[in-house]
Order: sequence, then C-alpha cells, then structure tokens
Amino acid sequence: MPVTKVLTAGIGEADLRDIGVYRERGGYKQWERAVRELRPSDVLELAEKSGLRGRGGAAFPTGKKWSFLPADKYPRYLICNCDEAEPGTFKDHMLLEEAPHLVLEGMLLGAYGIACHHAYIYIRGEFKRGYEIFSTALDEARRAGLFGSKIFGSDYDLDITVQRGAGAYICGEETGLINSLEGKRGEPRLKPPFPAVEGLYGMPTVVNNVETLAYLVPILERGSEWFSAAGTERSKGYKIVSVSGHVRNPGNYEMPLGTTVREIIDIAGGLRPGRTFMAVQPGGGSSACIFDEHLDWPYDYESMTKAGSMLGSGGFVVFDDTTDFVNAAYNLVRFFAHESCGQCTPCREGSSWMERVLERLVHHRGIPGDYDMLLRVSRSITGLNLCALGDSIEPFLKSVMLRFPDAFKSRIAETVAR
Amino acid sequence: MAEAFAALLERLRPEFEALIAQYERKRSALLPIVHVFQEHQGFVSADAVNATSEMLEITPAEVEAVVSFYTLLYRRPVGKYMLQVCRGLACAINGAEDIMAYFREKLGVGHLQTTPDGLFSYEEVECLAACDRATCMEVNLEFVYDLTPQKIDEMLAAMRAGAYPVEPMAQTLTPGPTWAVVAEAEIAKGRKSPGAVAVESPNNPGGLGDASGTIMLDHLINRDVYMFGRTTERAVVDSRAVVETIEERTNRAGH
Repeated sequence: MPVTKVLTAGIGEADLRDIGVYRERGGYKQWERAVRELRPSDVLELAEKSGLRGRGGAAFPTGKKWSFLPADKYPRYLICNCDEAEPGTFKDHMLLEEAPHLVLEGMLLGAYGIACHHAYIYIRGEFKRGYEIFSTALDEARRAGLFGSKIFGSDYDLDITVQRGAGAYICGEETGLINSLEGKRGEPRLKPPFPAVEGLYGMPTVVNNVETLAYLVPILERGSEWFSAAGTERSKGYKIVSVSGHVRNPGNYEMPLGTTVREIIDIAGGLRPGRTFMAVQPGGGSSACIFDEHLDWPYDYESMTKAGSMLGSGGFVVFDDTTDFVNAAYNLVRFFAHESCGQCTPCREGSSWMERVLERLVHHRGIPGDYDMLLRVSRSITGLNLCALGDSIEPFLKSVMLRFPDAFKSRIAETVAR
Repeated sequence: MAEAFAALLERLRPEFEALIAQYERKRSALLPIVHVFQEHQGFVSADAVNATSEMLEITPAEVEAVVSFYTLLYRRPVGKYMLQVCRGLACAINGAEDIMAYFREKLGVGHLQTTPDGLFSYEEVECLAACDRATCMEVNLEFVYDLTPQKIDEMLAAMRAGAYPVEPMAQTLTPGPTWAVVAEAEIAKGRKSPGAVAVESPNNPGGLGDASGTIMLDHLINRDVYMFGRTTERAVVDSRAVVETIEERTNRAGH
C-alpha cells in the first residue's frame, strides 16, 4: 500500500499539540536552521526545486507564486489559508487540530521564504476548537522565542496573527479571504491585479494553503530531491487525500501523487460489502465525477484534468450504487447557490435558478425541457464570474447528467405520465 | 439594556483594544470584535454594531453590511444551543436526510428556527469538513461526530437537563421563532436576489421598485406554463384576486 506518512506522521500516536512532544520529534529544527543558516532565497529555491504545488485546489507552483512578488514593494504579507470548506475535504481541519505546531512551522518557513514580517492565518469560523488549539500552540511558540523580534539572535522579525472567519465558503478564495481579513464582506476581487502585486492592504501578498506550507518542513529537512522523487513527472511529492462517502474506512490518507484511483479506494477499505462502484468525485465539490474507466488512472493533477475533472483540494468522495445522483446534484448546486456571494449575476441568479429546477426534479415534478435547460444554464454561468465559484457549479452536475441521463429524465417523465 | 451594554462595553474595551492593535489597519479587527460581542450577548446586537463602528471609525452601515455577509454571525437572538447539522454531500449520502428529519421531529422546528422555549436553534449547514465521520454536526461550534438517533436523544436530554458538556450560548434577550430576518431567511436558503425570488407578497413580486407588482406579474404571465405552478402557489397564500387574474390570463393565452 502506498500510504506514506509525512505530514500525518505521528498523528494519532503522539500528542503533537504539545510543543515539547513536537520538538522531541525534531520540530522547529528546520525553522531554526533556516533562520540561522539559510537566506530567504534559499528557502524559495528549495520550494521551487521540490516542485511543490498549491494543495488548496488551484495547484499553482508554490515557488513560482512567491517569485511573483515585486522586489521593491514593502511590506509584504503571507496568509495561511485555513478556511477549508470545499465539500468532501477535511485535511486542513485535521492538521490544524492534530498538528498545530507543524502548521505553524510551515507558516514560519513560508514567511521567511518571502521575507515578510507579518503573517496571518485565516481559520474557518466553524473550526472553533482548531482555533483554540492553534492559538495555544502559537502562545507556546511565542513564549519559546520561536518568533517575534530578533528571532534566534538574527535581525529577522516576524509577527503572526490569527484571524477567525465567520461562516462563508467564498472566503477560501484568496481575494475573498483578503477582503474578509480587511474587515470587509468576503467578496472576491477583480484580477488582475493578483494578490502577489496588490493583496492585503494593497500590498504584495502570498496566500498559501495549510497543507502547502506544512510540506515546507519536510522539504527543508530532507531536501527538494527527496520530495520531487515522489509523485509523477509534473505532479511532485505527496498529498493528503480526504477519502469519504461510500467506503468502509473514510479518513485522511497521505500518499505520493500518482497512486491510482483504485488503490485509493482500497486504502480506505474498499466499498461496503455487496455494493457496486458508480463514481468518484476526486477533487472536492467543485470537481466533475470520474467513473469505472478511470479506476486505474493515476491520481495526479494532469491525469485528473485529462479525465475531465481535477485533483483540486484532494476531497475524494466515493459513490456506490445506493447513490441518487439527482439528489447529489441538487445537494451540490444548492451548496453553490447558498455560498455564491452574489456579486456576479450569472453565478448568483444561475445557481439559484438551477437549484430550484433540480429541487423539482428531486420531487419528481420535472418539466419537459428541464434536462436541456440545466445543461444550458450551467454552461452559461461558466467563465463569466470574478472568481471560480461560478465555474464550479457545472462540473459535477454535467458529469453525472451525461453519465446517468435516465436518472434525470425519469424524474421528468413521471410528471408527464401523471 | 442600554445601561447593561455600556457596562459590558467598558469591561470589554481592553480586549477590543488588544484586538485592534494586532492589525496594521483598524478595520481588520471587525470580525474578531463582533465575535466577542456575540460571545457575550448571544448575537450581534444593534448596540454592538454601533459600538464596533465607533471603535473602527467606520459607519454602522458598513459594519452591518459585513455582519450580514457571514452565516455564523446572528443578527437576532438565538437559542442557548445552536444545533448545526451538516447537510453536505458526503453526509447526505451517509444518512444526513434521516438525521435531519429526526432532529426536526424531536425539536418540532425546522431549518433556521428556534424552539418556543428558547433552548434550541436549529440549522442545516453546508459541509463542515468532517466527512470521514459523517454524519456530523456542531453544537455551539463544537463538533459532534457519527450521529445516530440514540446519540441525538441523549444529547437533547442532557441539554434539557443542563448537563451537556458544551457551554450554552449567552442569551441576553428572548429569541424569536427565527434569527434570520424575513429577507435574510430567504438569503440563507441561497436566494440572493430579492428581485427575482424571495417573494413574500404577490402584490410586490418584483421586490424593490415594483411595489405594484405589475412588472413581475406581466413577466410571469407571459412565460411558459411551468412558471405558473410556483407563482400560483405563492399567490394563493395572500391573494385570491391575483390567482384569478393569472388563471384568466392563462386561459386567454391558451395554455
């Protein structure tokens, strides 16, 4: 089995929330080494060479993202995105609650890599426990002198602030997050300018996912070659996959990218006895389903894109033959309608109209023409909005509608017959 | 109330000042400040909005605009136990529908409603990021995993007896039947635009700027027949006259 514990090492075995335990296991050694021995550009180079790509969903190369910061514009900021709300994804939630010091050390390294002096972590409002655990960890680290002014006797200063969200999926979008952090409505901004040029308070800002930043710790420890040796040609390294749905042992499993879809299902204990595999949603609520023919495909960024879906955040939801795909589609469209911030008309109106059309299909009250209309409306939302939320409505719906057209059409036929 | 709020504000002022000092711009402290107010008052009161606006040197409308954006900030009083059950897809395919139906039956209230005794507020929320332990929920933002009817019974009994391990929320005012104001109740269901949906009165179906309702009514009547089902349903509630008009025009249109 290809499960490889890197970030998840020790979780469930030791109390990694305790700074003493974390340090005994080698914690904060890389941070100390970075400040004492490395220049920020060395950290950047390691990140770049490792091939690490954003683990929050967009999969943008991390080193490249950092290198976009203009050299002459200060101050600059790092924001750790812990507003995990993508349906089916629960890895950051685990890291935050089980390994807060690892998250913090990753943040410290990220902040040093871009040479900023103030870093923020934006924690989803629902993670109250995680917020408390992280705040405690932060206090412990501050008392231990791991950050603050003149860290380890160097002339590097770094301050860290924790921000709690208040319930809005859209704040996971980086510019929505920045607006929320500025005390505004969490509405995404028009891009460009990208945050790297104009982010928090109009200054250069890097927003990185929790998992992305946490991987900096093992990369510094074992080298960029170690990381890039795992994975596939263009999808390097490891990934925590959040497996849920119709499997026997749902949970977070860390593995090299390129593990096959079938292997991932097996790692999570396989399907329940007597059940048949129908589909997998491989990259959170925003991704299209993949089916039988993709079971032996490697789970990496390129293959998932080629399969018509995406790896996204690694939320891997398995569906067996008990799934009602009309209900499932309604569920996700309702989610997007609920979470649409309302700025862009296609997303705001399109999502809520689609929700209502699907609602009537769920209740077997479909009208002839609904099937085509759903496809048409979802297509006309895509690509017309400030952020990717609007574009996220179509993939799952379209993939299951094309795959199981009868499930949808039967909800219409019944109305006519009555 | 006003007196008590002034005292609360004075007591919390040092905490607020520390929060504001964390940021390079004052306004960033908005969410942290209203979180603290909600913790003490159980909701974000008008007083809290005004006080926040003064501390941050922005208008109350700006604070209100932000507060109304976020689902975890309650603008009206809520029950002592906020029960937020996950309706996300991974929970839904693992029995969340049954769990939610069980809750609704046991509490006697539905989505976004508070029980008449003011003890429970119930909401069906989006994915809580605990899909490996579906079905899940939060009680006053503390997770509860692997829900079963038995677990729910025990939980509700413990809460009623005041023996539940999670602290009840502060409750400074008696909650009404819902904490979402009329338009917001619709927004919370995902209906963003009062212009297109969320029509409470058939006499004002177009929302703002269409008080007579004629613009929207004409619009609806000249549409495909499937629109009528919904419009008629809504219209029945408030006005027979509108229904008759619709039917008459439908017949005339030959549907």
